[in-house]
Amino acid sequence: MSGYRHSATGRRVLESLVTVVCPPEAHGLASAIVDHMELTLAASPPMLGRAFATGLVAYDLGALPLHGRRAHKLSAERRERYFASWEHGPTPLHTQFSHAINQLMSLSCYEMPAMTERLGYHPAPWIDEVTRRRLTVYRDDVRRQEAQILAPDPLRPGVYVGKRRREVG
Amino acid sequence: MAVARPALLEGTRPPGVFTRHDHHGDTVVDADVVVIGSGAGGSTVAAELAEAGFDVIVVEEGSYYQTRDFTADTSAMVRQLYRDGGATMAIGNPPVMYQEGRAVGGSTVINGGMSWRTPDKILARWEREAGLAGIAKDLEPHFARVEKRIHVAGMDAEAIGKDNHLLKRGADAKGWQIIGNLRNQAHCAGSNRCAFGCPTGAKQSSLVSYVPRALHYGARIYADVRVDKITRHGKRATGVIGTVRGTPHRLAVRAKLVVSACGAIHTPALLHRSGFRTPSGQLGHNLSMHPNVKVVAIFDEQVTGWRGAHQAFQVREFQDQGLVFAAVNLPPSVLAMSFPHRGAALGQLMDQYDRMVVAGMLCEDTATGRVRTIDGKPQAFYQLAEADAANLQRGVGLLSDLLFAAGAKRILLPFQGAPDLLSADDARRLMDRKIPAKGWEVVTVHMMGTARMGTDRARHVTDAFGAVHDTDRLMVADASLFPTPIGVNPMETIMALATRAAGHVIDNARRYLS
Ligand SMILES: Cc1cc2nc3c(=O)[nH]c(=O)nc-3n(C[C@H](O)[C@H](O)[C@H](O)COP(=O)(O)OP(=O)(O)OC[C@H]3O[C@@H](n4cnc5c(N)ncnc54)[C@H](O)[C@@H]3O)c2cc1C
Ligand code: SF4
Repeated sequence: MSGYRHSATGRRVLESLVTVVCPPEAHGLASAIVDHMELTLAASPPMLGRAFATGLVAYDLGALPLHGRRAHKLSAERRERYFASWEHGPTPLHTQFSHAINQLMSLSCYEMPAMTERLGYHPAPWIDEVTRRRLTVYRDDVRRQEAQILAPDPLRPGVYVGKRRREVG
Repeated sequence: MAVARPALLEGTRPPGVFTRHDHHGDTVVDADVVVIGSGAGGSTVAAELAEAGFDVIVVEEGSYYQTRDFTADTSAMVRQLYRDGGATMAIGNPPVMYQEGRAVGGSTVINGGMSWRTPDKILARWEREAGLAGIAKDLEPHFARVEKRIHVAGMDAEAIGKDNHLLKRGADAKGWQIIGNLRNQAHCAGSNRCAFGCPTGAKQSSLVSYVPRALHYGARIYADVRVDKITRHGKRATGVIGTVRGTPHRLAVRAKLVVSACGAIHTPALLHRSGFRTPSGQLGHNLSMHPNVKVVAIFDEQVTGWRGAHQAFQVREFQDQGLVFAAVNLPPSVLAMSFPHRGAALGQLMDQYDRMVVAGMLCEDTATGRVRTIDGKPQAFYQLAEADAANLQRGVGLLSDLLFAAGAKRILLPFQGAPDLLSADDARRLMDRKIPAKGWEVVTVHMMGTARMGTDRARHVTDAFGAVHDTDRLMVADASLFPTPIGVNPMETIMALATRAAGHVIDNARRYLS
């Protein structure tokens, strides 16, 4: 865990990018999507979190010379154009950073229940249903396998080294 | 600020499992054998040695979870079960994203459960190139033993999902060989959640097979402890020292035998930072990765690929040429992440989620990379060989051809900027042109070979059983041992080698216990 947290600026930049990266149906979920990105980054290597945070600041300030405003304050149309300019260069770092934003934000976007609902993706009830079926239809086989896992079956029958540390059943 | 939801609850632990909550200061414990890592290799060695009467301690960096902790919350599972949240990368052009498990049970907790023996041609190559005379015959009973323990079996027909049936339909239409996958499962229920912890308990990962067995026969497992170094006296390993994650506490284990089973990325780094040098200088070298690319096929018909078993079939038609194909459903978030689309275009594409088949391939690689240890931490470097890139591109063409034969209407490629394919002719044309590899999305989950075994101490890192050359009481028992890539899924090979290593230790108990 890297302990990554969005800075206030980072959060504003990301929230402004939700309309650029996510489909229209997700635009009302900006805050939750950005929260989710924070969790993902916190689980990533610390170096990645640091690079991402630096990238966000560079992205925000980079809009000043081009558009006279920081990125998170741009109008919707300029926001789109500015992000596209990073996607297509001018250096590989710009491209990589815009890809990273796209990847992380798309991941978080499609973790939102409202978005998976749209797709008809309901894994939890499916898991419950098949778990129940397995334990009903194959109950005996399942128990047999569980017993097999613990049953004595020494690799070298008859060879036993040392003294048992504690009694085993 | 976001608050992490406790998606994984620590339930009642079986006796013998210690977690970070059990440490209230520094601890020193003694054992006959300390095993570092509880994945495919470590858990197997631990269970076999514990049953033979050795006092075994397993030290595992990841946490201890149980089947009931595995939920449908994909991201939460990735954060908890994958090292670095799955964001691990080998440096190269293109970079190769790789994934490793970090939990009790290691990568077996998140793997697909494909269970295959090492192909004969690979074992013959190991005999020739690594001097492992008789390895094929030697491994035979060990494979059988592993298969029994982890319940390797074919799939129940009712658990096979539509995406896999479509793969089969395509292979049959092309007249290509396709086989039912053998998997370590006891009546897999078809939840398609293998990569996020099997929520039904059907997958017989180490977590529900070798780990409980090891505990049952008296082993102790210290979860949440990262081993910082192997202690030594000259060339003799004497134990380990680790840090309890999230605490300032240390754990020291004094042991007569140390077994490193941290996986092919972490074993070389651990040995390096512990100061072990091998005469071959090959520790960390020889990294194979089975590079993998995927295509996404869109059908007119409903697929609902998330209902049904993970990878129920494998297309083996091109195995001799180093390519194996399978259908691998991905949850929406993971799939969305892999698309370059954004905005409304992403939404339109994702709206077709239930009509998608994701299919990928495993490539037996010819390139080898390296794990370097930088500031004590591993960093993998791997440059995809031209020949392997050509093979993968050919594989993408062939797999696309198969999917069109199954009825696909459109195929999205893993090459940046490449147009989608709309017909089998497009797929065939793809094979005729050369696409520069640098823009490819290459991933892998099979890392191997960084402490390769063999009889020549000038070329190999360990001997034929995993004992590190020119050291004493130090063994390796994980995927690092492979002298070459194996061209099929590696878990069963790792477990069979670990079983064989355990037999060797038992046969030489006096040497290791004295
Ligand atoms: C998503 C995924 C799908 C896969 N699918 C398949 C499949 O279908 N079939 C197949 O055969 N193979 C599959 N594999 C590969 C297979 O699971 C691995 O090759 C195998 O588990 C590797 O075994 P191992 O013992 O080398 O390491 P692992 O199983 O990775 O175990 C290593 C353990 O060591 C621990 N560790 C590392 N460093 C330290 C340290 N310093 N201190 C303490 N502990 C440490 C790690 O936390 C980990 O738990 C898959 C892998 C992944 C990630
Ligand atoms: S597909 Fe089968 S083995 Fe995989 S998670 Fe679901 S029930 Fe478990």
